[in-house]
Amino acid sequence: MKKQALPLALFRYLGRSFISFVGELGAIAIFFFYGFVNIFSYPFQPRKIMQQVYFIGAKSIMIVALVGLFTGMVLGLQGYYTLVKFGSEGMLGAAVALSLLRELGPVLTALMVIGRAGSSMAAEIGIMRISEQIDALDTMDIDPIRFLISPRIGASIISFPLLTSLFDVIGILGGYLTGCLLLRINSGIYFNRIYDSVVMKDVTSGYWKSLAFAIIVSTICSYQGYFTHLRPGGFGARGVSLATTSAVVISCVLVLAADYVLTSLLL
Amino acid sequence: MTRSPFVEFRNVVKRFGERTILDGVDLTVFKGEITTIIGKSGAGKSVLLKHIIGLLKPDSGEILFEGRPLRSMSKAEWKQLKRKVSYMFQQNALFDSMNVFDNVALPLRERTRMPAEEIRKKVMARIEQFELSEVTDKFPSQISGGMQKRVALARALVTDPSIILFDEPTTGLDPLRKNTVLSMIAHHQREIGFTAVMVSHDIPDVFLISNRVAIIEDKRIPFQGTPVELEQSDDPLVQQFIRGQESLADELTGLLTRPDLEQKIRQELTRIGRFQKTFSVVLFVIDDLEHIREKVGFIAAQRIVQCLGNLLKGHLGTTGMSARFSQNEILTVLPHTDLSRAQHFLEDLAGRMKDAETFQAKTYPRICLEFYIKAGIAQANSGASLESLIEQARSNLRTIAHLECTTGRRVSKS
Amino acid sequence: MKKYTMETAVGVFVFIGLLCVVYLTVKLGKMEIIGGNFYVIYAKFDNVSGLKPDSSVEIAGVEIGRVGDIKLDVNSEMAVVSLKIKKDIPVQEDAIASVKTSGLIGDKYISITPGGSEELLKPGDTITDTESTLDIEDLIRQFVHGKV
Repeated sequence: MKKQALPLALFRYLGRSFISFVGELGAIAIFFFYGFVNIFSYPFQPRKIMQQVYFIGAKSIMIVALVGLFTGMVLGLQGYYTLVKFGSEGMLGAAVALSLLRELGPVLTALMVIGRAGSSMAAEIGIMRISEQIDALDTMDIDPIRFLISPRIGASIISFPLLTSLFDVIGILGGYLTGCLLLRINSGIYFNRIYDSVVMKDVTSGYWKSLAFAIIVSTICSYQGYFTHLRPGGFGARGVSLATTSAVVISCVLVLAADYVLTSLLL
Repeated sequence: MTRSPFVEFRNVVKRFGERTILDGVDLTVFKGEITTIIGKSGAGKSVLLKHIIGLLKPDSGEILFEGRPLRSMSKAEWKQLKRKVSYMFQQNALFDSMNVFDNVALPLRERTRMPAEEIRKKVMARIEQFELSEVTDKFPSQISGGMQKRVALARALVTDPSIILFDEPTTGLDPLRKNTVLSMIAHHQREIGFTAVMVSHDIPDVFLISNRVAIIEDKRIPFQGTPVELEQSDDPLVQQFIRGQESLADELTGLLTRPDLEQKIRQELTRIGRFQKTFSVVLFVIDDLEHIREKVGFIAAQRIVQCLGNLLKGHLGTTGMSARFSQNEILTVLPHTDLSRAQHFLEDLAGRMKDAETFQAKTYPRICLEFYIKAGIAQANSGASLESLIEQARSNLRTIAHLECTTGRRVSKS
Repeated sequence: MKKYTMETAVGVFVFIGLLCVVYLTVKLGKMEIIGGNFYVIYAKFDNVSGLKPDSSVEIAGVEIGRVGDIKLDVNSEMAVVSLKIKKDIPVQEDAIASVKTSGLIGDKYISITPGGSEELLKPGDTITDTESTLDIEDLIRQFVHGKV
């Protein structure tokens, strides 16, 4: 028993990592549900949610608008050069709008917000953890998850779809800029193509995605910060930096993975 | 005030994984008193404190609150009880995204259904009490450490708790602020009458404000009692704690402790009989060290001892040994050395002292105080005792170094 | 003062965001804000290949409504398409519904050719006179075999 055969050790390693992975997944799920349910527990915390909407949403307007504009402009250029080969450059509006609404809007908005708000969410909560502020809440009989996490989840759920719509609209305008002003497509055709080809389902599928991303980003980033102290191999400032890094990496990967799953479900 | 136990630990055991932190701790905290827990870092003081507020739960044993075990309390009762407890963290744990007012108001806003106006009044009363009115709108990072402490204390007190737990309230503060914080705690404790449990390293200052002291050592509490009882105790462990500070000073001078050296001398003495080998002891006395401490400063006095210690160490290498014998005396053992060689050694040392910065007048620009370092030699012969040796050395004292202010910058040899 | 700027910023953000949401859902997604401004009639086709829900319904090239859902009537093995027609547009009993293509490979839509009858279709009625999708492959085959 003492010296295990190599394959056995391999299986044991595999088993152990799988168990800890499932455990972590469960912990994150419980963390999210507890935080989500407590958005609605009395007394409500509208002020805190508003602060977070300010932080996650309002302060991201500029960056989302900027990225949306350039994304739309690039789509306009690329789409034009592809479509012109088939002689159907009139379809440009549809191409730009559909790719923005269904795919790029929700995903790129989520990635931008991860970079801007998600990382600082993880860092802020992580610092609160290591400077014992979370313990202090506990000793004051204030539920730290309700106090810290619920407003962030709630604010993300509010902010993400709004930011995504902003991204979409500005992206369509960006496509108009390159397509119509630069490449001389008739602007009436551009917009009418959009109105003709976009159906409600395209819009709603974008919203479902952005809601899912809101949950993923807020949960992962707060979770990483909240459990900074349990992270092996990093304490104090180092722990916070590790937590921030993994919050960004994990939520980016999960957003893209979830995007694939949702696309295949919603198509 | 009747001495009714407020919190009681009975045989509490706590483990973190394989590591046992508390192993059968018994502790009594009386109502309306300040109880201080002292112990080495990592001995489990904070762990003990966190048990009181339920941040940690014991693996076995019982914690009683006003005679009722925590274990058997219902959730509602426990919540009720938790409201009576406040915890002050070592690093204050103020919320750095909130200003001072919001920090103090937070427990009231979140825990009570008090109307905003009433909260405001209550918070402002505490803020004025702690002289924080000018920084109400500032954030914790914008105010000084002492103010942060006061904010933390104001926040702990705003809910009118009946017991406050202080986790090392003075760690990391300068001596002046240390005393301010301690006297602040004592002052408000008397005024408001809460029960306090404090974890501290700050021996002996903390004894002055404590009603009871408990020592935590080796996972248990071997001593608890009043500070006077503590001082009177002849338990070596207790004495070690009381003398904690002096031993630190010896670490800094790089000298051995007195018991170690006495042990060494006794060893050498027995050798004389057996191997016919002799040795000498030299007693160095710094004259008027008390005086220097008063007039020039504590650090300057410490530096003189340190300088002498370093010189001795450098000169003797590994063969000799020196220890702080008393406040202003250093005793050195020179093995295999007879009287004449010891004499020679002393002259050599005096020569080196001349160049040392400590003995130059310019080191003390403000007040120059003349002081002398004297030395006495005694050679050990068979049959001599430790006491007689020191007696002999003390009778042979001669000045070997001298700081003169008038002629300046010269250490003269007599 | 600081508090108010934050509130304003949040207000501006929510306002802009909602504006975009409204634009996307109403203008692009054609959400019917008030449910009752159209009526439903049905049309039976032999073949509606390529027709999608939400495709447009036109008279003389003017959009007058949208396709609702498309089902198969199992008894007759025909496609039943529900047409959501704007309330103020009358459709005669003998109108002809045909599936057409915009351009050679464009989207399918339904074109209604008005009839001459005095009687109008009521909500829930069915257009029986229909023309199905023009199958281009079929057309080419016929052309090759010289039948056209």
